[in-house]
Amino acid sequence: MIPLPVGLVTGALLDLLAAGLALSLLIVGIRVVRTHRRRRHERIAAPVRVLLLELLCAPDDEQSELLDRIARIDRRTWVALEPTVTSMLGKVTGRARTALVLLCERRGSAAAALADLGSRTAPRRGRAAQLLGQLGHRPAVPALCRLLGDRDREVRLAAARALGRIGDPVAAPRLLRSLHGPRTVPPRVVTAALTSLGPEALPGVVAGLRDPSPLVRAVAVEVLGTTGAIARTPEIVRALREDPDTEVRIRAARALGRLGMPEGLAPLVAALGPDRPAALRMVAAGALGGLGAVAATVPLTRLLGDVDAHVAGAAARALLRLGPQGEAALRQAADGRPGTRAAAQARAALAERAVGGTRHDVLVEVTL
Amino acid sequence: MSVAGAQTWDGPLGALHDVITVCDAAVILYFLAVNTGYLVLILLALAELVRRTRRAPFAGHEDAAGSAFTPPISVIMPAYNEAAGITEAVRAMLLLHYPVFEVVVVDDGSTDGTLDALTDAFDLAEVEHVVPEDVPVRGAVSSLHLPAGGPVPLVVARKANGGKADALNVGINLARYPLLCMVDADSILDSQALLAVAKPFSDDPLRVVASGGVVGIANGCTVEAGRVVEAHVPTDLLGRTQVVEYLRGFFLGRTGWSKAGGLLIIAGAFGLFRRDVVVAVGGMDPDCVGEDAELVVRLHRHLRAQGHRHGDYRIVFVTEPISWSEAPSSLRVLGRQRRRWQRGLTEILLKHRRMIGNPRYGRVGLMALPFYLLFELMAPLVELAGLVLVPLGVLIGAVDTEFLWLFLLAAYAYAMVVSLVSVAVEEYAYHRFSRWRDVWGAFVGAAVENVGYRQFTAWWRLRGMWDALHRAPQVWGAMTRSGFGPRERVREGDRRP
Repeated sequence: MIPLPVGLVTGALLDLLAAGLALSLLIVGIRVVRTHRRRRHERIAAPVRVLLLELLCAPDDEQSELLDRIARIDRRTWVALEPTVTSMLGKVTGRARTALVLLCERRGSAAAALADLGSRTAPRRGRAAQLLGQLGHRPAVPALCRLLGDRDREVRLAAARALGRIGDPVAAPRLLRSLHGPRTVPPRVVTAALTSLGPEALPGVVAGLRDPSPLVRAVAVEVLGTTGAIARTPEIVRALREDPDTEVRIRAARALGRLGMPEGLAPLVAALGPDRPAALRMVAAGALGGLGAVAATVPLTRLLGDVDAHVAGAAARALLRLGPQGEAALRQAADGRPGTRAAAQARAALAERAVGGTRHDVLVEVTL
Repeated sequence: MSVAGAQTWDGPLGALHDVITVCDAAVILYFLAVNTGYLVLILLALAELVRRTRRAPFAGHEDAAGSAFTPPISVIMPAYNEAAGITEAVRAMLLLHYPVFEVVVVDDGSTDGTLDALTDAFDLAEVEHVVPEDVPVRGAVSSLHLPAGGPVPLVVARKANGGKADALNVGINLARYPLLCMVDADSILDSQALLAVAKPFSDDPLRVVASGGVVGIANGCTVEAGRVVEAHVPTDLLGRTQVVEYLRGFFLGRTGWSKAGGLLIIAGAFGLFRRDVVVAVGGMDPDCVGEDAELVVRLHRHLRAQGHRHGDYRIVFVTEPISWSEAPSSLRVLGRQRRRWQRGLTEILLKHRRMIGNPRYGRVGLMALPFYLLFELMAPLVELAGLVLVPLGVLIGAVDTEFLWLFLLAAYAYAMVVSLVSVAVEEYAYHRFSRWRDVWGAFVGAAVENVGYRQFTAWWRLRGMWDALHRAPQVWGAMTRSGFGPRERVREGDRRP
């Protein structure tokens, strides 16, 4: 016999019924409160939103008066309007953006956000970082740099993005440092931020090439390639030739392709060697196509028969980018012995070209 | 009072009486455990959703959309006899909001003119091809097609019929980019879908190897130009029940598992994977019906075997509402769907049985797989056994009738509360359903799920287990759909969410 806990089940049933009722009320309550809040904000902000649109479109002489009128609105109305203002900050440029920034500063948004960077709650710090970035608020740079080591990952990301938007080159070393340590920022976010800092940040980025962390060196190389730092070609060539880390060399090869300097030719051809990692060979082949140097025709043609179909395909598409000489080499390979890998790759690349659908992007299994 | 009534039995009948008494108690405990398990997962999901909702304003989606450093994606769309809707689906896919991506459609030997429909719509031209052999395939590519005269990032491959997994493997070989997004041809993606599902890869590139997206039920929703523009709960009872089931099991359940580090299923309807890792494990398993979930389990197994511990790699679930699929609106199609799903689960658990309870596989081996074994695989067996044993117990006096009714009511209320928690969490986090009648529909769905629906699905799932055990022939998940017009309400489908 198993004893029956009738009292327990009865109690549980009553509790569950109460919980069900409470949940139903909660669902209804959430909807009611949200709908009410949205309508209230819409009602309050509607008259001022018209003024805001006028401000964005107004000529210079009318802008200051409109700015005064909107800046004088009461706190309740500003709370309702502020989300619209901040969302517009990311969508408009030029004079309209300047007007919005001025408006936020006059309403004290920047100062409040600066104070919120030290808040104990992560969402508040993150929102503040985001807003300061949108405002391009330079005085916030030191505090945002400190936030790169925040305990909350999303806040660190928001700080890095904000630093990129503000564009102050002093942030470059801190951004590079944020790539390693116990609290990191992902490489893509750091790369994007660094590329927004302008040429004045390049010395700081170049210093990253000597960092012991391969991740820092890889990001530094990527930034140099993306920002068109042609004066730094020798450093990138050195990275491709000498760096012990494959990821860094892959990025160096890609950077040389982007920069298009003749000094890149020899190291890129050397990177095609069969003893090199397939990913590096693929990127080097693609970079040679980007370089457009006809001198690369012969080494690229040799790659058409490579056992790695991705490397061979990258070489075939790179040849198409070398102009008539590359295309002629490809045609010659296509007319070669049928059934060979080289002929098949050449015919495939030419067929893609014939329909205008050449896919020049090179697949590389990089994780950064 | 006891489970047994006042009547006493002797001999073999007495033994039977005792067995039924114990079994009934086990069924009762099982029911409690299943719902408690889901409640724990939902509470874990709630914690995650609160965290994400509060961080959404600075999540950086807009930055990713405009960044040259956002990782490019190859969207792989296997198709078999999808002529009715393939054009609209591909067109919608090409219009996704993402910096760099390509769409690779693999026609798995369709006989209804799927390729012709694509050729007409996108002015495709056949080109010579070389397909890398990164993962093994069964049906060779017979032709490759590219849009003529335009830089449309679309590749269409025609291959001999070999099943969905094989079509995906061809897509993996053809893919040009380091991230693979696998979608069903009938998936309806939100325009921000790729941005949302790729975000974990950008934010944590050294650890994230796969991410799955939420799949919602498109039935009853308004679809325009291949996008869901208004989300609604369907008006039919079957649809309403499935909405609640999806919310609890697939949305919040998987969010909870993701939070716990034990996510085992990324829906074939919408998932993103690192290509190098997928290639390293040999691509999709063409012998498994649940190839999507099997891939995830194999990824766990592979990465753990490589010496990765919990936290060294991540397989995550993205909670933003991003993908929609048609759900069955007839019992016949629902039955077929659940049979396939259970067959897939059975095959996976059999194939990877050594992982179950094995501490070497961490939380996956010790928590997630045992949970799926006990509460997903065994559920139909226990539920159907309960349907037989409990009335039998009443009949022979092994169960006290008054207690039984009381317990059934409590169990029903518990299941309803778990479903209502799911609805409340959805309402708090995403509130996709704008109309009051949608909320009412969800209430109704939660109320009726345990009356009939569960019992029917238990039967179909049992048959799915049988299919797996005696290795019934595989077929593509048959679709009962007619494609999307310019603006229409969605009907039914059979894919895993």
